[in-house]
Amino acid sequence: MSLLEVRNLSRQFGSLIAVNDVSFAVEAGELRAVIGPNGAGKTTFFNLISGMLAPSSGSIRLDGTDITRLPAHRRVAMGIARTFQVTEIFPELSVRENLLIPVETEAGLRLRPFLSRARAHEIATRVDALLAMGGLAAMAERLAGELSHGDQRATEIMMALALKPRLLLLDEPTAGMGEQETRDVVRLIRRLHEQERLAIVLIEHDMRVVFHLADRIMVLAEGAVLAEGTPQAIAADERVQAAYLGGAA
Amino acid sequence: MKALEKYGPSIAVWIVLATVPLWFPLIGGYTALGTRVLVMALAAMAVNFLLGFTGVLSFGHAAYLGLGAYGAGMTIKYLLPSTPLGLLVGVLTGTVGAMIIGAMIVRLRGVYFAMVTIAFGQVFYFIAFRWVSLTGGDDGLTGWKRVPLDLGFTQIDILGNDRAFYYFVLVCLAASAGIMALLLRSPFGRTLLAIRENERRARFLGIPVDQHIWLSFVISAAFASLAGTLYAYLDNFVDPRAFYWQQSGEFVIMAVLGGMRSFWGPLIGAAIFEVLQDKASTYTDNWMSILGLFFVLVVVFFPRGVLGVLNRKPTR
Amino acid sequence: MTQVILFNLLNGLIVGAFYALMALGLSLILNLSGVINFAHGGFLALGAYLAYSLMPYIGFWGALVAAPVLTALLGLAVERVLIRRLYGRDPLYGLLLTFGLAFIFQDGLRFVWGASSVPYQIPEWLASPLSLEYFFLTGYRVFMMIVVAVAVAGLFLVLGYTRLGMRIRAGTLDLDTVSVLGVNVRVLRNLNFGLGIFLAGLAGVLAAGMLGLSPTIGDQLIMPSFVAIIVGGLGSLPGTLAGGLLIGVAAGMTTVFFPAATEAVIYVMMALVLMVRPSGLFGDEGRRQ
Repeated sequence: MSLLEVRNLSRQFGSLIAVNDVSFAVEAGELRAVIGPNGAGKTTFFNLISGMLAPSSGSIRLDGTDITRLPAHRRVAMGIARTFQVTEIFPELSVRENLLIPVETEAGLRLRPFLSRARAHEIATRVDALLAMGGLAAMAERLAGELSHGDQRATEIMMALALKPRLLLLDEPTAGMGEQETRDVVRLIRRLHEQERLAIVLIEHDMRVVFHLADRIMVLAEGAVLAEGTPQAIAADERVQAAYLGGAA
Repeated sequence: MKALEKYGPSIAVWIVLATVPLWFPLIGGYTALGTRVLVMALAAMAVNFLLGFTGVLSFGHAAYLGLGAYGAGMTIKYLLPSTPLGLLVGVLTGTVGAMIIGAMIVRLRGVYFAMVTIAFGQVFYFIAFRWVSLTGGDDGLTGWKRVPLDLGFTQIDILGNDRAFYYFVLVCLAASAGIMALLLRSPFGRTLLAIRENERRARFLGIPVDQHIWLSFVISAAFASLAGTLYAYLDNFVDPRAFYWQQSGEFVIMAVLGGMRSFWGPLIGAAIFEVLQDKASTYTDNWMSILGLFFVLVVVFFPRGVLGVLNRKPTR
Repeated sequence: MTQVILFNLLNGLIVGAFYALMALGLSLILNLSGVINFAHGGFLALGAYLAYSLMPYIGFWGALVAAPVLTALLGLAVERVLIRRLYGRDPLYGLLLTFGLAFIFQDGLRFVWGASSVPYQIPEWLASPLSLEYFFLTGYRVFMMIVVAVAVAGLFLVLGYTRLGMRIRAGTLDLDTVSVLGVNVRVLRNLNFGLGIFLAGLAGVLAAGMLGLSPTIGDQLIMPSFVAIIVGGLGSLPGTLAGGLLIGVAAGMTTVFFPAATEAVIYVMMALVLMVRPSGLFGDEGRRQ
């Protein structure tokens, strides 16, 4: 049984078919990339998996459990975490608080009006570990909105990781970044993948990043699956070259 | 030093409030006005729990002020002359009302949410206005008085002694402020800040946003109805205007004027507003124009409020 | 009994027409600019008083046209000086500012025209009943219905077939794109505000002949207008129109059977709509962020 199993997933907006009959499976510990030209339906596909949108038809299963109709926050509790194309953090809270909130939520404490000293200490230790892992320890007390673009991105990824997900969805993690920032984020993703044996699906435009990171690649075009396979196979695929790589270059 | 920075403002606030009966008359105030400031401050802080710390605008909190006020007044008038019982019934009435209304509106956001809260406040206004046999209608609920507190070993005359009543209200405010501050520093409070900051992010961290907004709404309304019971005790009187949308708007302007991102902002806003109203209405018949102008000026020149300007933290 | 029901049905329709006229103006402004105009009732009252003061000089018909136009001109000015500052800011500030304006309006009207209500003269031939059996069917009531119908039809024609109207509709859907396409958004919002205020002024002139004239005349109408928008569905002008008529009729009918609940019934309707269909009867999206 696959960790994530998507069957015949479709989503229409009026007459536009944004995602068209996509089937897709991710195994535990796998790092998968989704690529495709602009408007190929990549982000819509993510929105369907994470519960931001309801599909028009098809099914989504996580570890065999049907989650097609589950609200977003329940999917998070089941182990799906995501980041967004435009970084979504809590800009006027400190970086520490940004991480504290998902850590507490993951620990099932979101409704607690107070915490015991021991519990608070336990939580703080986890937050410190996440800060260190994301390379954010030095700026823990600063407002997240004041950080550089790359550090905000790292904050967002660590927030997702604080949820102890089984599946992490990253929507264009290096979008709008410079060379150095891109390298840092790629290194962070690789480290998470290797250390935590976390299954990651990422949407990415930067082909160097994709071929450097991904175990397997799915290519979407006009909402449908164009090809799927190892980076080598995708690079050699003529249809992909014609429809995407050739056209884009 | 760090402790002073953290607790200093609160200590200062409590020293100033505890000594109001001593210094307020010296600058032209009177104790009952001080009490009124406390009551309105409590209501404004309740509104701000939702507005400033959850990012949800209710323009209809007069509904809960009114429910608390009528609940307390009618308990004493019809049921049992007991100040604490009236307080309890008033708070329960307002809280239950908020639970029901909250459940209907919690899926709405922004302007739409604000508009619906305003409209719901009117239902209670018309009920209080029309159900004359129960509420006294337009003339208000009269013929009852707050009752001295009986602690068993001693009595506190909050009815005849203005100062005693002031301190009774201050104790209520202190307890409420304490609970609100505690909640805001808790994991639950942090989820509310998260919703204020970025609702989508909060939802995709696993927080059921609607449920948390509902809770925040109910908590906020519970404190607003506590303010309502004290509001009724203030003059031993309540009329349908307690429910009117003008009152709701005044709470919001108090919060904004004082600084809605700060805990004590609404208190400062309430003090400025009530003292200004008290003074202005003795000098002019056109109080409404002054009030209106005041709203406009605050929005145009002072959107961050007093404490928002003092604390240089960026606000949107 | 039939007479009583018919009377209240007609009354409800007329009151509903006022609600709708006012709510359409509110909706126009809310949809394009994101501002809830609390001062709408103040503009309505101003329109009514202007008509009252102008009538001795330019007559009933002149006032019917001139008063809404003058009110709209004031609306344009208010938008330029104050409302404009609110665009793109937290909706909170729009509520507070227009709330303050509403107070200034009410106080100002009281200052100029006095606090007590004044009689509003309508032409003799409009005031008399058209039928002896249905005594309540006065010419003025019929006349009002016609004027409202013409105004609403005119509004939808303007929105559907003029350049301004098409731009307003496009701007409501996607202001950024409209702006990129070279439309001056500032002017567009200004004119749109004026259009909304014109409707308020017109509603004021008509309401004065029916409800009498007092500084709080707008107050009675603004809350039901909010309810009309919510019931009809945010963002949908036909919904707003239907919502206004619907709650007017509902209030009218309640007067027959349970007069004490006349005002409360529209809020009960709102609660029902919110429970069953939170986006309103004609709304496609209630969860605006």
